[in-house]
Amino acid sequence: MAFISSGYDPKQPMKDRITDIGPRKFDEFYPPVIAKNKGKWLYHEYLQPGVLVHVAESGDEVYTVRCGGARLMSTGLIREICEIADKHCGGHVRWTTRNNIEFMVDNKSKVKPLLDDLKGRKFKGGSFKFPIGGTGAGVTNIIHTQGWIHCHTPATDASGPVKAVMDELFADFQDHRMPAHVRVSLACCLNMCGAVHCSDIAILGYHRKPPMLDHEYLDKMCEIPLAIASCPTAAIRPSKVEFKGEKVNSVAVKNERCMFCGNCYTMCPSMPLADTEGDGIVIMAGGKVSNRISAPKFSKVVVAFIPNEAPRWPRTTHIIKNMIEVYSKDARKYERLGDWAERIGWERFFEKCELEFTHHLIDDFRDPAYFTWRQTTQFKF
Amino acid sequence: MEYEEAKQKIVETLTKKLKTKSKFYFNDLAKILESKPREAKKVVNKLVQEGVLEYWSSGSTSMYGLSGTGKQAGAEGEDKEK
Amino acid sequence: MAKHKTPMLDQLESGPWPSFVSDLKEQAQRRAKNKEGVEFQIPTDVVEDLLGVLELSFEHGRTHWKHGGIVGVFGYGGGVIGRYCDQPEAFSGVAHFHTMRINQPGGKYYKTDYLKQLCDLWDLRGSGITNMHGSTGDIILLGTTTPQLEEVFYELTHNMNQDLGGSGSNLRTPSDCIGSSRCEYACYDTQGLCFDLTQEYQDELHRPAFPYKFKFKFDGCPNCCVASIARADLSFIGTWKDAIKIDQEAVQGYIGGEFKPNAGAHSGRDWGAFDIQKEVIGLCPTECMIMDGKTLKINNKECNRCMHCINVMPRALRIGDQRGLSVFAGAKAPILDGAQMGSLIVPFIEAEPPYTKIKEEVIEPIWDWWMEEGKNRERLGELMKRQGLQRMIEVLGVDPDPRMVQEPRSNPYIFWKEDEVEGGWDRDIEEFRKHHQR
Repeated sequence: MAFISSGYDPKQPMKDRITDIGPRKFDEFYPPVIAKNKGKWLYHEYLQPGVLVHVAESGDEVYTVRCGGARLMSTGLIREICEIADKHCGGHVRWTTRNNIEFMVDNKSKVKPLLDDLKGRKFKGGSFKFPIGGTGAGVTNIIHTQGWIHCHTPATDASGPVKAVMDELFADFQDHRMPAHVRVSLACCLNMCGAVHCSDIAILGYHRKPPMLDHEYLDKMCEIPLAIASCPTAAIRPSKVEFKGEKVNSVAVKNERCMFCGNCYTMCPSMPLADTEGDGIVIMAGGKVSNRISAPKFSKVVVAFIPNEAPRWPRTTHIIKNMIEVYSKDARKYERLGDWAERIGWERFFEKCELEFTHHLIDDFRDPAYFTWRQTTQFKF
Repeated sequence: MEYEEAKQKIVETLTKKLKTKSKFYFNDLAKILESKPREAKKVVNKLVQEGVLEYWSSGSTSMYGLSGTGKQAGAEGEDKEK
Repeated sequence: MAKHKTPMLDQLESGPWPSFVSDLKEQAQRRAKNKEGVEFQIPTDVVEDLLGVLELSFEHGRTHWKHGGIVGVFGYGGGVIGRYCDQPEAFSGVAHFHTMRINQPGGKYYKTDYLKQLCDLWDLRGSGITNMHGSTGDIILLGTTTPQLEEVFYELTHNMNQDLGGSGSNLRTPSDCIGSSRCEYACYDTQGLCFDLTQEYQDELHRPAFPYKFKFKFDGCPNCCVASIARADLSFIGTWKDAIKIDQEAVQGYIGGEFKPNAGAHSGRDWGAFDIQKEVIGLCPTECMIMDGKTLKINNKECNRCMHCINVMPRALRIGDQRGLSVFAGAKAPILDGAQMGSLIVPFIEAEPPYTKIKEEVIEPIWDWWMEEGKNRERLGELMKRQGLQRMIEVLGVDPDPRMVQEPRSNPYIFWKEDEVEGGWDRDIEEFRKHHQR
């Protein structure tokens, strides 16, 4: 392959350099019906799962078809999305915060041809390219992080478990039978670069072993003061270690202080912590970000650990599916999963969901732990 | 403080510390310059533009170091590519 | 014929949900065939090797990526994440596999000509694999080599009028909800404010000088579709001060079953006939609504704008006209001291361009405080916890407001300052002893 220059001259990086221009301005990309009616929308309605209509003061309507998408996406697939948008939507398309793709048309007559086109598109492997759904009181797309496809500290994969879980929940992606909407999220380690801590159901990758120490290379590969400073719990200290008869500079880790975050591995590649048996999944439940009826709340840990079971994570998917089934049968209309658990009591939640309550689920991390213990006679047998 | 004086201060202090570490937080630089963060930033930006300092990032946190120094840069061959 | 066997990944091709494995495999084939005759600037088999190394991770239950300290293009301290494969011989196509973050447009609206141009660029100079989108909101271009970083940046800025996003200790790429562009609940123009602040603070976005990351997120209403209250250091949530507007005829439309409650969001199950008493009035957290004969009445002074009644009856109830936003500060994910929600610091502020008050009276004083007093890698929320909400109020120069707390303190251990106490702390012990024996 021959090198093709963009025009950039490595010897003069500042020549003709353009910086600090920011993103493209949103209104360059608005479909005409959006540009015309911005700020003048009257109401909306879900015509069926995955299909919305918004009606403006002017009488204009915009019909939106929402499709699930894997956020990991090839240019080939994006080009296909463009082809659909060119064919049906005047060359406009958008994504939602939860990795869904939205095709918008300005007339009801354009909806059915769009739906038919989308339904017919499948990958050669058999899955839908553009499943329609993700609206209202159902299960929408999972937001997630990178996992094994790109991250250096994940304790689980992201795209794999997401595919496995969404296959299991697929019927509810295309339905409106839940008491309220159900938001599932995944972060592949406790650093949570995707903030999942306020989701109805959160899937969280977790390491359980402190880093290994590659004493032979540690001082050659890493700057020891930086490795020490990277530790949020101050568990790392400098140490002289005997290695093959020689004293070498290295570090020592106070294992019982380690919270398995992987920050040291980021600073020092000689401190890897990934481990086949050590790594797995924590399930959290009952969080929300909306201020509707009740205040936003954090998700709580309901399963302390499930091993990574690639490629389809059967225990993880089973527990999630079951939790959603129990919730959907037992909760009241408009009640989010966390509101339901609080109404019936968490003791009842564990009973109904047939989840084991282990000592790992009792908070012992710093001050806030106390506020999670029971300080009333009001509990249920 | 004049820019040249500031530059000299930074280079001297960071070079002295090279034996133990090559990367520094922005706050460390502001302390060396004995100035408020916003003032220090102007100097630091210029030092980066001139290639005296370079950034290092953990993805979540950024640090600064003298260009081309540090053990990890060597290990990854990033120094050679420049 | 695939370069690597992927028996475990292959099992993720079945099932209805879009399979990323199928997508990657088809992309690998497209690259191998190269119908368009693209002069690929990184290895043609990059996607094959990506599948190969992922299969290995599925086998091992461990990642095969290492972090690299490379940060960006010349003069920028963010926008690129360095990645190296720890099996570079077996998977040479992904030996260097850096990510670039591209600042997404507001509302994630696109025109296809822009997307196609981006695809052309990324096919030529990268893996052709993306995330649409990353958690923060950026378009993520996944995987290229070091020499291509500047080339991609040059093309983005010169041919596409497009800049990188943020990473590291800087202002992260701000993101917004769909806002008033297509949502009747939006109390301000989220995309307008998001874009304005992104442009205003380009230096903060590209040149890290903060103690740690800093996030802005913009939600148009208290439904919080972009989750700003859970994850943004400064979260801007739309709200209003006056009365909810009621269309009594439409209320009757819901009661009579002409309109579907909650805009049809519950259509998958028979929940019985709509019962306004049970479903709206009874669930109102402040009990500020009643039906007076055929008239729905709201005691707006007591309403806390939770959105429930509006969500259930969007054709009958509308947000008020005196609109603006509330500002919450300090949200963050759990590490280290536990997760924090944003805390209310400004109950109401107007959100009209040029947004001078928001910049000069909220954002900039907070940055000055945090940059001077924040410890390395301390998020704003942690500084707030360490120094207290009272300190934040002092920084903003605003009066304390009971809206800022859930409840007043339940301990009386008030650290009075000397100037708050009449006469100060200097007292005359001799004078005291005149009346009190030793």
